[in-house]
Amino acid sequence: MRGIAKSMLTTLSVFLRPPVTRDYPNFHKPLPERDRAFPLLLWDKDIDEPFCTGCHACERACPVECMTVLMKDNPNHRSVGGSSTRRKIIDKFWIDYARCMRCNICVEVCNFDAIAMNNTWSGHETSVYDRKDLVMDLQQLTTQSHSGAIKEWVPVLGQANES
Amino acid sequence: MPTGLFGLNPWLDGVIRLLIIVGLMTVVAMGLIYIERKVLGRFHARIGPQRTGPFGLLQSVADALKLVGKEDLRPRNADPWTFEFGPYLVFIPIFLGFVVSPFMAGFTVRVLDLGILYFVAVSSVSIVGWVMAGWGSDNRYAMIGGMRAAAQAISYELPFVLSLLSVSMLAGTLNINEIVEAQTSVPNIVWQPLAFIIFFIAALAELNRPPFDIPVGESEVVGGPFVEYSGIRWSMFFLGEYASLFIMSILISALFLGGYEWPFGTQLGIGWQLVLTVIKASMLIFLIIWVRASVPRLRIDQLMGYAWKILLPLSLLQVLVNGFVLVYDLPKLLLTAAGLGGVFLLVWLTEHAITRPRESRATAAATAATLQSEAAS
Repeated sequence: MRGIAKSMLTTLSVFLRPPVTRDYPNFHKPLPERDRAFPLLLWDKDIDEPFCTGCHACERACPVECMTVLMKDNPNHRSVGGSSTRRKIIDKFWIDYARCMRCNICVEVCNFDAIAMNNTWSGHETSVYDRKDLVMDLQQLTTQSHSGAIKEWVPVLGQANES
Repeated sequence: MPTGLFGLNPWLDGVIRLLIIVGLMTVVAMGLIYIERKVLGRFHARIGPQRTGPFGLLQSVADALKLVGKEDLRPRNADPWTFEFGPYLVFIPIFLGFVVSPFMAGFTVRVLDLGILYFVAVSSVSIVGWVMAGWGSDNRYAMIGGMRAAAQAISYELPFVLSLLSVSMLAGTLNINEIVEAQTSVPNIVWQPLAFIIFFIAALAELNRPPFDIPVGESEVVGGPFVEYSGIRWSMFFLGEYASLFIMSILISALFLGGYEWPFGTQLGIGWQLVLTVIKASMLIFLIIWVRASVPRLRIDQLMGYAWKILLPLSLLQVLVNGFVLVYDLPKLLLTAAGLGGVFLLVWLTEHAITRPRESRATAAATAATLQSEAAS
């Protein structure tokens, strides 16, 4: 009987608290900084070009082979009168989000901290009607970093990555 | 010849009243399903239905449309007649129970002098429907569920009726409206706290609500008699369940909480009386949902033992005390005192039953061995 009374009081206290469930599509819970959605390329705002040099490190490390990387000579390099120190730069970059399993290995192996996991809701809500639309090209991969939609913790060059 | 409600010819009047009941019953049942899902959601720290219409208000409508659209399947081995007519026998008695439900003064479908007797008689008929559904489905789970429903209903009918009887002893009538009107100053719950609690528990069992939902326990008999039903027939069971929940809470609020009479008296306008009754009934419905969210399901032997060993003797005791007090014209406060004593006894007995030490494994094995040797010889 004491047990019954106790259980009734417990349920009543739960009833009086607001529900823990969030009204998801209408309410987006703030994501933690280290939330890991799909990989993105970061944009070097000082020189206005991607950090990525197209070194293929991520492509080789990717366990599901979801990346395709092509590099080119940087047209903005100092030797040709530009402002960049990057001799080579990314030409074309595709990531198949349908294949990616969000293992974070590409971020780990990147020598230039040029790739990072998206930590915003846009990285989670990627539903499309055609599977082909999940293959992201360079432009799609860099827009978010370019427009500053990615928040702090994403490692930026010169900043301590992980201790 | 009784005069019609709107001054119409009695047949037309009857048809109008029936249509009002049917409409009311459907709407109330759908509303209750929505309310239960919402309230239960809060008890589980969830939100409940919210995507269908504003605040999910149209969820029940969507469910009803979906159920009506579903195929009405009948298993090949099912007994066609019992299977097809089971739901009606569950549904119609509940429907008939509305006849005496006192919503407001003078607006009962029919004020019967033997209202309580009628209600008890009619409401227990639905058990036949449950057993028919269980038997006709040709499914073991359904069969077990039907038998459980019958066993439970028969056991709990006794404390149910006896606690009703103690109320009607107090009012000196079986007419529900007269019982309600006898509570102008003090509701019956004050004089009969024990009967109220017993009636509430027995009503939970009659409604197959948790913790007495063993006939339909999903983890035990996968829905009991409803296993093989689908579509409109299944929705009739469902509708009946919620309609009977509504009627039962109206009845409890009328018999024990003073219905439309207490605390404002009959002078109150008809509309406000309805509001008062519905408020009382909603409080009871909330309590029932609260119990559902809190208390785990009983085992069948616990269930039967609780009815026969605890509730039945106590309700008999209540009737006896009522008789003494009323026959010898003792002060009515004695009833309250006896009732509260009975409530304490009930609580103590329940506590005792819950905390009783279990039979040790060695003793159980010895008993089993004895029984086996007896069976062998």
